[in-house]
Amino acid sequence: MLGFPQDHTQAPCPRNGRSSPLELVLSTHVEGFHFEPALRGTALLRPGRGCLVVSGPAPVRRDLWRPTASSPPIKRPTEDRLLGHSLPASPRLPALWGRLGPGAGRSWPLPIAPPIREGVSGAGPGREAVPSPVTACWSGAASSGGAAYSPRGSPHRLEWRGRQTLSFCLLIIRSGGQGFGETWTMGSMFRSEEVALVQLFLPTAAAYTCVSRLGELGLVEFRDLNASVSAFQRRFVVDVRRCEELEKTFTFLQEEVQRAGLVLPPPEGRLPAPPPRDLLRIQEETERLAQELRDVRGNQQALRVQLHQLQLHAAVLGQGHSPQLAATHTYGASERTPLLQAPGGPHQDLRVNFVAGAVEPHKAPALERLLWRACRGFLIASFRELERPLEHPVTGEPATWMTFLISYWGEQIGQKIRKITDCFHCHIFPFLEQEEARRAALQQQSQELQEVLGETERFLSQVLGRVQQLLPPAQVQVRKMKAVYLALNQCSMSTTHKCLIAETWCAARDLPALQEALRDSSMEEGVSAVAHRIPSRDMPPTLIRTNRFTASFQGIVDAYGVGRYQEVNPAPYTIVTFPFLFAVMFGDVGHGLLMFLFALAMVLAENRPAMKAAQNEIWQTFFGGRYLLLLMGLFSVYTGFIYNECFSRASSIFPSGWSVAAMANQSGWSDAFLAQHTMLTLDPNVTGVFLGPYPFGIDPIWSLAANHLSFLNSFKMKMSVILGVVHMAFGVVLGVFNHMHFGQRHRLLLETLPELTFLLGLFGYLVFLVIYKWLRVSATNAASAPSILIHFINMFLFSHSPTNRPLYPRQEVVQAMLVVLALAMVPVLLLGTPLHLLHRHRRRRRRPTGRKEDKAGLLGLPDASVNCWGSDEEKAGGLEDEQEAELVPSEVFMHQAIHTIEFCLGCVSNTASYLRLWALSLAHAQLSEVLWAMVMRIGLGLGREVGVAAVVLVPIFATFAVMTVAILLVMEGLSAFLHALRLHWVEFQNKFYSGTGYKLSPFTFAAAED
Amino acid sequence: MLEGAELYFNVDHGYLEGLVRGCKASLLTQQDYINLVQCETLEDLKIHLQTTDYGNFLANQTNPLTVSKIDTEMRKRLCGEFEYFRNHSLEPLSTFLTYMTCSYMIDNVILLMNGALQKKSVKEILVKCHPLGRFTEMEAVNIAETPSDLFNAILVETPLAPFFQDCMSENALDELNIELLRNKLYKSYLETFYKFCKNHGDVTAEVMCPILEFEADRRAFIITLNSFGTELSKEDRETLYPAFGKLYPEGLRLLAQAEDFDQMKTIADHYEVYKPLFEAIGGNGGKTLEDVFYEREVQMNVLAFNRQFHYGVFYAYVKLKEQEMRNIVWIAECISQRHRTKINSYIPIL
Repeated sequence: MLGFPQDHTQAPCPRNGRSSPLELVLSTHVEGFHFEPALRGTALLRPGRGCLVVSGPAPVRRDLWRPTASSPPIKRPTEDRLLGHSLPASPRLPALWGRLGPGAGRSWPLPIAPPIREGVSGAGPGREAVPSPVTACWSGAASSGGAAYSPRGSPHRLEWRGRQTLSFCLLIIRSGGQGFGETWTMGSMFRSEEVALVQLFLPTAAAYTCVSRLGELGLVEFRDLNASVSAFQRRFVVDVRRCEELEKTFTFLQEEVQRAGLVLPPPEGRLPAPPPRDLLRIQEETERLAQELRDVRGNQQALRVQLHQLQLHAAVLGQGHSPQLAATHTYGASERTPLLQAPGGPHQDLRVNFVAGAVEPHKAPALERLLWRACRGFLIASFRELERPLEHPVTGEPATWMTFLISYWGEQIGQKIRKITDCFHCHIFPFLEQEEARRAALQQQSQELQEVLGETERFLSQVLGRVQQLLPPAQVQVRKMKAVYLALNQCSMSTTHKCLIAETWCAARDLPALQEALRDSSMEEGVSAVAHRIPSRDMPPTLIRTNRFTASFQGIVDAYGVGRYQEVNPAPYTIVTFPFLFAVMFGDVGHGLLMFLFALAMVLAENRPAMKAAQNEIWQTFFGGRYLLLLMGLFSVYTGFIYNECFSRASSIFPSGWSVAAMANQSGWSDAFLAQHTMLTLDPNVTGVFLGPYPFGIDPIWSLAANHLSFLNSFKMKMSVILGVVHMAFGVVLGVFNHMHFGQRHRLLLETLPELTFLLGLFGYLVFLVIYKWLRVSATNAASAPSILIHFINMFLFSHSPTNRPLYPRQEVVQAMLVVLALAMVPVLLLGTPLHLLHRHRRRRRRPTGRKEDKAGLLGLPDASVNCWGSDEEKAGGLEDEQEAELVPSEVFMHQAIHTIEFCLGCVSNTASYLRLWALSLAHAQLSEVLWAMVMRIGLGLGREVGVAAVVLVPIFATFAVMTVAILLVMEGLSAFLHALRLHWVEFQNKFYSGTGYKLSPFTFAAAED
Repeated sequence: MLEGAELYFNVDHGYLEGLVRGCKASLLTQQDYINLVQCETLEDLKIHLQTTDYGNFLANQTNPLTVSKIDTEMRKRLCGEFEYFRNHSLEPLSTFLTYMTCSYMIDNVILLMNGALQKKSVKEILVKCHPLGRFTEMEAVNIAETPSDLFNAILVETPLAPFFQDCMSENALDELNIELLRNKLYKSYLETFYKFCKNHGDVTAEVMCPILEFEADRRAFIITLNSFGTELSKEDRETLYPAFGKLYPEGLRLLAQAEDFDQMKTIADHYEVYKPLFEAIGGNGGKTLEDVFYEREVQMNVLAFNRQFHYGVFYAYVKLKEQEMRNIVWIAECISQRHRTKINSYIPIL
């Protein structure tokens, strides 16, 4: 019903020009059809200068458009006069009228009516492009249509809404560049995108094409509106069943193709879901093909069985003539001859009969025993295995057979034998004496059969070839079709049965694309599908668009929990902090470089199809995180330079800041002194010994020092605490954006501020002490340097130790104040938010309807709460109202108490937790040190002569290299990764991230195309 | 057997027990039955069964769907599961599973012999045979003319052989004799199975013995009920009762003398287990004796799952699954015959 201008591109953007042309989107009503919920649009216009560019859907005739105050009462328009109908008159309706020519693009002045009422101001977040839109209301009388625009400020925003229950023309004004989601300015990485609940009205005729188009685009996630309806009572269950039937046929065809040892080629090109009428064609084609295949297959089977029988027969006959059997025969005969020929014996006239046949080998012993038992030994059975296995007629696999020849006396026994062989499913063949000729005939028969069989198989392969061509595209198409019907099954029917109503989640940014897709796909039907936002009480799904770089970082965050809707997304910060914290634990130039190069190789080769096609799960994991690895390697190189370690060796890029020569000269180390002392101390207080700090990182001379480890430990421990406190404080600060965004400003004051004070007052002060001591205490007064640890403990005990010199004057006062301040924050944190909420709740209850009335008046609608604008501000407001209605004091207090305890205790334990940075980096450094000392150094010291050293070094270096990769890169890398992950998930994200959302999973054909 | 199955049971049978418990969890729930009952056609039934653990087991069936097709497919499924258990079982569980198949084998043999008597072709009868009780020599049954013939020639190698000691006779196999043969075989089978479970001891005995005792008593009741008004003498009747169970020996002696249903009921009233069952007959929904016995059986089988480390779960699972299949077939029959008034009288599995 709703048409949008076709020449989208020609509409000038209202942002840049003084004259801000608007698109007037005409929408018409088909008889009997009505929109139940609201339709909305927004537009920007400047007062007095508005100019409407009118365009409309092509197939509809454009006639006079003249709504006046004296227009006739509403009539039901006929199809061809759709647009020629008048808007219902209303005293509050701006006299909007004009004449539309037979083409799009006409413009005429837009009269601006005085505003009805000023509404709420303030833009929702993410809509900053619209400066304080003040909404006003315009509503129709006969209908409940309305529009709002702002008379103040420039440019203004005009919002229009219509709610129609009658048949008349509908008007939507929509600005060129300011459509639904285009005011979005904020980067979508920082929080999840605005996702709107969009109601789609799909005219029954066009519903299929629309949904199939949506499936191609993958824009929207359908909500199941028929959750209470069981699977077989849904509307399109018949179509789904037809698709399933077809899929069954496909499975049959596929199995046949695979059985013939052929492969199905992957489908080529774009294969849209076929229109429903094509299903018949596909069905017919596949059915015919399947039938043909079945026939040919059946023929082939029958022929094969026949051939098999013939071969068996020949084999059985052959056995009858084998010398072994002949021997048995004569032997048996000679044994019995005297008995049988006893004079007057009753068996004189009996002659020996034969039953010959073949049986599967595993049944043979049972058969033999049963025969013997049942016939009490009145037979002679001989079993022989076939020399060469025959092809099984069905599976085609070689199978051996046991042939048997039973000779017996007496008709009764014969019947029994026949019954028994029947029950064992033996193949029984006539066996007569004069079989020589018969064998030759059999040979010929089987040859003929083989020829026929060859012919049949040729035909079969032809049919299979056709299947190979037809099947892959048809499979994809039917899969898509089924997906479409399953999606349609989630839609509900409108009361008039003219259209299907679907509720979908769609990113606000994609709304224009959605509109366009709907318009395009419903164009042919002459009626247009409509999409419009409706307010939702449910939390929308989270959508964060990623690219190949950010995907792995987002993956790290999502593995913890998908963010709540529009919550601050930690992923952008993780891009920096994760590789950095990893690198703090993994600092080594050599190892970092190896990792970097490995990741770089993957990144450079990422477009090769072989890379993506690799099935190995471990490889896929690495490949998926290639950019993460790249950054981790890079940062490790950086921290490696800071630690001055490359495969545990220090490098001296710059000259060392320490001078041994100066020390030796000043303190006059004699040769004897040097010979006696293996350890020498460099005293920085001696002039010329310590020339100044090393320009970058750790001085390489430390790697020679015996107290290397204690020096590094002190450094790394303090560094861990500093990084930890900064990281956590950053997390708390990020919470500010959440509070601002969700309009919970009270939490800024009552939660974030106390939290920050607590964290920084105690642990921030510790960081301050560390840095202060680094800056103020130098080697000259090192002997009497104050201990930070003692100071920090004393700070909480409000005491002081006389031996520990204060760092700065009045230190105790400052410390006492800080502790008191931090402790004072605990009750604020504990009680602030609950008390505030309770207070506000009580105030609301005192005047419960005030705001509602406001809103209703503003919109000029009776039930405004159902049909609010859909701007975030109001939605949030609505939700808040809801929450407050169900405010349970005990729950709020409990929740806040848990939060407070968790935060305050967490500050201590989390700070301690960051010490893992120190521990892991220590472990890494020591492991690589050990590896070097125990492998390479020994290897290098082994051979004095060049030749020996070279030979020895090859295996030793190989060991070193393998162990470096296996232990230091893979194992240590994994453990450092794990710890970095934990620091992010637990210590960082619990400061602000709830992660209780769910992902937007759009309806898409991507799975069907595989 | 050593006591304390929990110490070593899982070494050999832990996997299968876990498996069978998983299978038990896939039995249809009350909600499933409610949905099944609402189905209008067998196609609906099929679609609904697809949403359960049956999956699309009917997918390859050509239309039109019939009740017997559903039944066959369900049996095939059960048989497949059972074969899997059996192939992965170790002693003594494998013997236990063999014992379980024996009852089906007896049924099949009797069915085939009856068929032979009525001159029906073997193939026709074979379709009706339960797949769990299939064995190679089965089809040769019709060559036997007397029970000892049957034993000597055909069944001597099958697991059924030990049950023949009591019923070796040279009588020709007419309808009555076949029925007698069946009951004697059953009696012998149940007694042997009972002895096996009893000797196994431990939880298996604690769980299986009551179930088998109930089975024996049920047979006694059913035999009595069916023998009213036939030429079967009271002495002969007594020889058919399995010689164990709650009724053994006094109850059985009394049952042998019973002459009508009311007398049977008075005998049952002496036993607190059977009194409520007989009282429930004809109650709400017009239950038959068979129904109440089935309900009681289901109850006992479900309870078997409350204990761990025993073989009874296998028996109970197969019986429950059988009951479920009977229920589905009942519902399917009601649907296909448009006889919806009785559709709700399936036996609910708790």
